[in-house]
Amino acid sequence: MAAPVKLTIDGKAVEAAPGTLVIDAAKLVGINIPSFCYYEGLTLQAACRMCLVEVEKAPKLLAACTLPVAEGMVVRTETPVVAEARKYTLEFLLTNHPLDCPVCDKGGECELQDMVFRYGAGESRYSENKLHVDEKQWSPVVFYDGPRCILCFRCVRICSEGMGVGALGIVNRGAVSEIAPNHGDHLECDECGMCIDICPVGALTSGTYRYKTRPWEMDHVGTICTHCSNGCKTTLGVRNGQIIRGNNRDRSGINGEFLCIKGRYGFDFTDHPERLQSPLMRVNGKLEAASWSVALAAVAKKFSEVRARHGSFGVIGSTHTTNEENYYLQKFARSVLGTNHIDHHRSGDVVTLLDALSGTAGSLSTTADLYERKAVLVVGADLSSQQPFLAFQIRANYRHHQARVYVVTENEVREDGIAAATVRVDKGGELAGVHSLAEKLKTESELVIVFGDSIKGEAVRELVAFGNSLGIPVKYVALVDYSNSRGALDMGLVPELLPGYQPSNQPGMTVGEMLESESLEVLWVVGANPLESAAMKAKDAFVVVQEMFLTETAQRADIVLPAASAYEKTGTVTNVTGEVQRLKTGPSTMGAKPDLEIIGLIARDMGLAAAVGPWIADKVFEEIRATVKGYSVPMAIISAGGAAHTMPVNGRIPVESRPDLIHSSRDNLFTSGTLGRYSKMLGSVMEGRQA
Amino acid sequence: MPNKIEEILETAAAIAKGMSVTFKEMMSPTVTENYPDEPPKFEERFRGVHVLQRDESGLEKCVACFLCAAACPAQCIYIEAAENTGAVRISGGERYAQAYNIDYSRCIFCGYCVEACPTDAITHGHGFEIASFNTSTLVYRKERLLAPAPPGARPPEIFTEAPSAH
Repeated sequence: MAAPVKLTIDGKAVEAAPGTLVIDAAKLVGINIPSFCYYEGLTLQAACRMCLVEVEKAPKLLAACTLPVAEGMVVRTETPVVAEARKYTLEFLLTNHPLDCPVCDKGGECELQDMVFRYGAGESRYSENKLHVDEKQWSPVVFYDGPRCILCFRCVRICSEGMGVGALGIVNRGAVSEIAPNHGDHLECDECGMCIDICPVGALTSGTYRYKTRPWEMDHVGTICTHCSNGCKTTLGVRNGQIIRGNNRDRSGINGEFLCIKGRYGFDFTDHPERLQSPLMRVNGKLEAASWSVALAAVAKKFSEVRARHGSFGVIGSTHTTNEENYYLQKFARSVLGTNHIDHHRSGDVVTLLDALSGTAGSLSTTADLYERKAVLVVGADLSSQQPFLAFQIRANYRHHQARVYVVTENEVREDGIAAATVRVDKGGELAGVHSLAEKLKTESELVIVFGDSIKGEAVRELVAFGNSLGIPVKYVALVDYSNSRGALDMGLVPELLPGYQPSNQPGMTVGEMLESESLEVLWVVGANPLESAAMKAKDAFVVVQEMFLTETAQRADIVLPAASAYEKTGTVTNVTGEVQRLKTGPSTMGAKPDLEIIGLIARDMGLAAAVGPWIADKVFEEIRATVKGYSVPMAIISAGGAAHTMPVNGRIPVESRPDLIHSSRDNLFTSGTLGRYSKMLGSVMEGRQA
Repeated sequence: MPNKIEEILETAAAIAKGMSVTFKEMMSPTVTENYPDEPPKFEERFRGVHVLQRDESGLEKCVACFLCAAACPAQCIYIEAAENTGAVRISGGERYAQAYNIDYSRCIFCGYCVEACPTDAITHGHGFEIASFNTSTLVYRKERLLAPAPPGARPPEIFTEAPSAH
C-alpha cells in the first residue's frame, strides 16, 4: 500500500490512504462533516453543497465529499464562514421544502431538520408561493412526496448500484426535477424500501408506517429477520405491543444498510387476524378452544401413556425456531420420549459440505467474505431473489473491490449483469458448467463458491475436489432456505445426526417415512407444515402441532398449541453462513407462548422437567455452548447483538446426507413459506402476485 | 377610681376602632366569589381542562404530530394517528388523531402541550371541576375534549372530492 497522506483537520493530525475523501478522513478522527448527497459506498454526486469546508490556500470553500486528501492539507470544518455557507445552503434547500414537519413521517429523525436546528435558516426570505406537487403512491409500500425532495439522488443510486434494480430515475431539469419510478406512475422493482430508509428527508415514505406514529414514540428492537436464511438485522419499531415498522435504523447488523421487503415489511404476519391465540383441542371431531392448562395436561397424558408402552413417536421440527428450541426439542425427543424419529425440512447439503471439508480450516465463508474476497462463483441459485443479502454483498464487492463474479445457473439471473463469465446449463448440468470455468478460476487468487440445492450428495464432494484442484484458497456457502434452517441441522433435528453432527447410533425415520408409517402413534410437529404437500398414512395417530396459524397440518391436529413468532421471543438463530445472532423480544401476542416454553411445560406436566432442564433460552444456550461443537462462541459478541461465526465440526461425518430429501422451496423475494402466506404486505405488491 | 373610667373609655375606643374596620369592609364591594352558588370568573389565561379546537370549517385542527405528548413532562397524553382519506376527512392535514387521551390524574396543567402545538389545536379551557372518586374516569377521551363543531360548518370543496386513482 502506498504511504499514507498526512493532513490536518480542525487542528487534528490525520493519516489517510491516498485517494481518501476529506469527508471520510474526517471520520477517522471523529469529525462528522454534514452531507445529504454523500453516502458511504455509493458513487459521488456532489449535489447538495452541505459538506463545504475551508481549506487553507484554497480561494473558496470546497466540497469535502469529492475532495481527495493531499499532503499537508489544512482543513477547517466548523469556522464561521463554513457555518454561514451551510446556513445559506439550508435556506436554499428550504425554499421549496414544505415546513410540514408535524405531519411528516420523517419528523424527529430527519437529517434536514437536524441540520436546520444546528445551523439555523429556519426563517425564510423566500416569499413566493412554493411549487406544489401532489403526493404519489408508487406501490403499496412506496409513497413519494415531491416537494419534500431535496434532490440528493441517494435513492436513485442505492436502487441502481446497491440493489442492481435501477427502478428510480430523474425527470425534468433544474428546480422542477423530480424522482420518477420506472413504470411512469408506479414502481416495478424488488420493493425493498431501501430508497425510503436512505432518504434524508421525508420525500419517500413507507406505505406501512405512514402516518401511524412518530419515531420517538416507539421502542426500537434490533432483532434478526425471521424470513430467509441470510440473518439480516431488522429494527422493529414497537408501540403498544404492536410492530409498527421494520427498518435498519442503526446499520449495526451484518447486513449494514441492507434490508429486503421481507425484513422491512414482512412482520405483519404477527398480528394477522387468523393468528392462533388459544390452544385448540379436538372435541367430537372439531377443533375447539381450550385453556393452556387443559391442553398441556392432555398432551402430557398422551405422551406419558405412549411412552410407557414404548409406542412410536415422530417429531418434526422447524426451520424458523431458535437454536435453543431445536436443541431442547431434540433433547426432549431423544432422552425423554426415547425416539430418534426426528427430522425437519432440509434445503441444503451442509452435512456433505462439512464432511468434504473435513481437516481444512477456514473454508466456510461468512457474509463478510462475500464482500471482501476477490472472486465469487455462484452455482445454481438465483441469489437476488432467494438470498437477497448475499446478492447485495456480491454486488457491493463488485462495485467497491472489482470482484470477479462467475455464474453457473439454469436461468438468467441478476448477477449476470456483473459477471466476468456466465455459463447457462441445463438442469443437473451445474457441475459440468463449473468445470468449464476451471481455467478462468485458476487465475484468481481466492474464491468463494456459493451453491444451491442442485449441488448435493456426491456433487458437493466433486465441487470441493474441484475447489481443491484450483490451488487457491476457496471458501464455501451451502445455501439453505429459512432463518434457522442451518441451526436445525447444527442442533441435530435429523434422525441420523445428534447436535454438532455427531452420528446417531440408531437413526430414526425421516419426515417422509413418518408420514408413510402406519404404526406411528404420536406425531409432534413444531412450527412446520409437512401436510401441506403430503398425506399422513397413520390415520389414528395423535397429532400435536405448535403453530402460529391453522395450517394444513394444524387442521389435522388433535391438539394445537399457539406459538410465539421469532419476533416475540429471545434465543439465537444461525444464518446460512453459520453466523449465530441473538433475537430480541419485540411485541407479544396474547395467548401464544414461545416453543421453548411449550416444550418445557409439556415436560413439566409429564413430571420429567428435571430430565430436560430449565426452559430458559439463556440457560439452554449455555448448554449448547458447552456441548455442541463450534458453538462455544464468545458471549460478548452475541450479547452485544453481533454475529459469531461457527464451525460446527471439523472431521468426518460418517452418515449419508440423504440428498434425496434435500430440496429448496425456492421462495422468491415475495414469498416466505407459511409466514409469507399470512403477510398481507408481501401479498399486496404486484411483483409478488405475478411471481 | 379614675383608673376605672380610663379603662372603660379605652375599651370603648378599641371596640369602635375594630368595628370601624368591620363596617368599612361591609360597605366595600366583595372580592371573594360565591362559588359554587355562582359560577367562578376566570382570567383569560387560566389553564384548565384542555379543549381540542376545530377550524372554521369544522375540521379538527389536530394533525396528530405527537409534539404535545413529547413536550408533556407528566406523560399524560396518548395519541394514535391515522391517515385522512378522500372519503373520511377528520382534520385539515394529512393525518388526524384517531385516539387522543389526556390522563387528568397525571396532568399538572403546565401548558407545555399548548406551547408545543404547531397548529394551535390544543388549548387550555376553563374547566376545572374534574375531581372524581374514581381515577379511571380521569382519562378524558377525544370526544370529551373536542370543541363543538360550529353550526352549519362543512368541509371545503377541496376536501370532499373523490380520492385519486390510487
